[in-house]
Amino acid sequence: MQHDPAIIAALLAAAESGINRALALAPTAASDFDALAGTVVALEITSLEITVYTAVTATRAVRLMSHFEGHVTTQVSGSLEDLFALIVSDDPAALLINSPIEVHGNTAPLIALQQLLTSLEINWQQPLADIFGDVLGHQMALHLSAGINWGREAATSLRRQLSEYLLEEGRLTPPETELEDFFEGVQSLKLQAERLDSRIARLARRISQRGAG
Amino acid sequence: MTQSTDIDQDNISSGEDSHRGDTTDFGFTEVPREDKARLVRGVFDSVASRYDLMNDLMSGGIHRLWKRFTIELSAVRAGQRVLDIAGGTGDLAARFSDLVGPEGQVILADINAAMLRVGRDRLIDRGKVGNIEVVQCDAQHLPFADDSIDCITIDFGLRNVTDKNRALRSMYRVLKPGGRLLVLEFSKPTNTLLEQVYDTYSFKILPRIGQLVAQDADSYRYLAESIRKHPDQDTLLGMMEDAEFADCQYHNMTGGIVAVHRGVKA
Repeated sequence: MQHDPAIIAALLAAAESGINRALALAPTAASDFDALAGTVVALEITSLEITVYTAVTATRAVRLMSHFEGHVTTQVSGSLEDLFALIVSDDPAALLINSPIEVHGNTAPLIALQQLLTSLEINWQQPLADIFGDVLGHQMALHLSAGINWGREAATSLRRQLSEYLLEEGRLTPPETELEDFFEGVQSLKLQAERLDSRIARLARRISQRGAG
Repeated sequence: MTQSTDIDQDNISSGEDSHRGDTTDFGFTEVPREDKARLVRGVFDSVASRYDLMNDLMSGGIHRLWKRFTIELSAVRAGQRVLDIAGGTGDLAARFSDLVGPEGQVILADINAAMLRVGRDRLIDRGKVGNIEVVQCDAQHLPFADDSIDCITIDFGLRNVTDKNRALRSMYRVLKPGGRLLVLEFSKPTNTLLEQVYDTYSFKILPRIGQLVAQDADSYRYLAESIRKHPDQDTLLGMMEDAEFADCQYHNMTGGIVAVHRGVKA
């Protein structure tokens, strides 16, 4: 699939601008960001045949590129949906293990970068004060922060209650421990089947060797 | 070898720069070779103060995206020496200044003093100082040592050069082995319908916008004409190969309206 570099550049420029503006308004993230300077994460979107390189610069900014020729710290490959799920995940480490995403290289900087970007504490006071003045801007920033916090808590609460409903009230899904036990059983069975398969192959080889002797 | 012999050889070796007698193109007009630089200078003297606005008008603002991709392809790293020829108002140089860092160097070069003045002032206003040098020079005779530059970019400038083959050879000379050249230039649309729309825009709408914004329809008409006279993607690729660049390739952007060519000095 041949993509027009200008279109990709437009999307990346918009995303990069948004991320860097958010970073500039989140001073608490600065020190964490310094530790990631030089990190380059390659996100290969297999369904679109695009690779987006996310580089953390020494100037506490993120650079998004469609072409990069240096050392890549971590390469992540997956469909757009899988990679999006990774980007917004609360537990990226678990998602990397349990999803079809392929990872090459060091996962620690990838997880650190993902957590840093998804947990930015944006200080809205400065941009709002620049537009509406100090007094009104301050009040608006307080309400905005309160609204965002309420939204986050509401989303967490809704997710928990939905999980409880599906599990306890509706009995629509099995408990997590039961599910893990099932997956472990499947994994164990798979390994046993593979061992049995190799034993049968070995046995067949011996029989054929004796027959020949 | 004398200079005039060089020019004759260029005319023989390249279809693109070969013109009847000792003339070259200035838009759709054939002019004496020695006059082209002066005429081009006249155009850019006229538009220097509004150059960025002109680029925005000509490209609908997309030139920033084309330049962004060119910078990615350059793969410039900290500590490298970058030459931005026909650097105009310095938007590429500003970006390279960040990439090469304090250990590296960016040279903003242009044949036109008015453009350089605008570029230099703008870079200083943006705080881009310390690792940027400003040099007024001709792309055909680059005043730099052999094998001294890691990366050369020329964006929307090659079509205004009188002898493009000579300029490419000059760039090859100053590049370090392994160094790369990136030529970002208007090119030939790959879609016929797009080409027709583009022609209508370039020759009917653009000069009117130029007249309204800069009271200078002729300069804008020249810019549109010079784009049509510029070699297409494959011809420019061949010219780069003739200049001994290796691994030459190009990427079409926005349906081929613009192409970025890349070559490496072996």
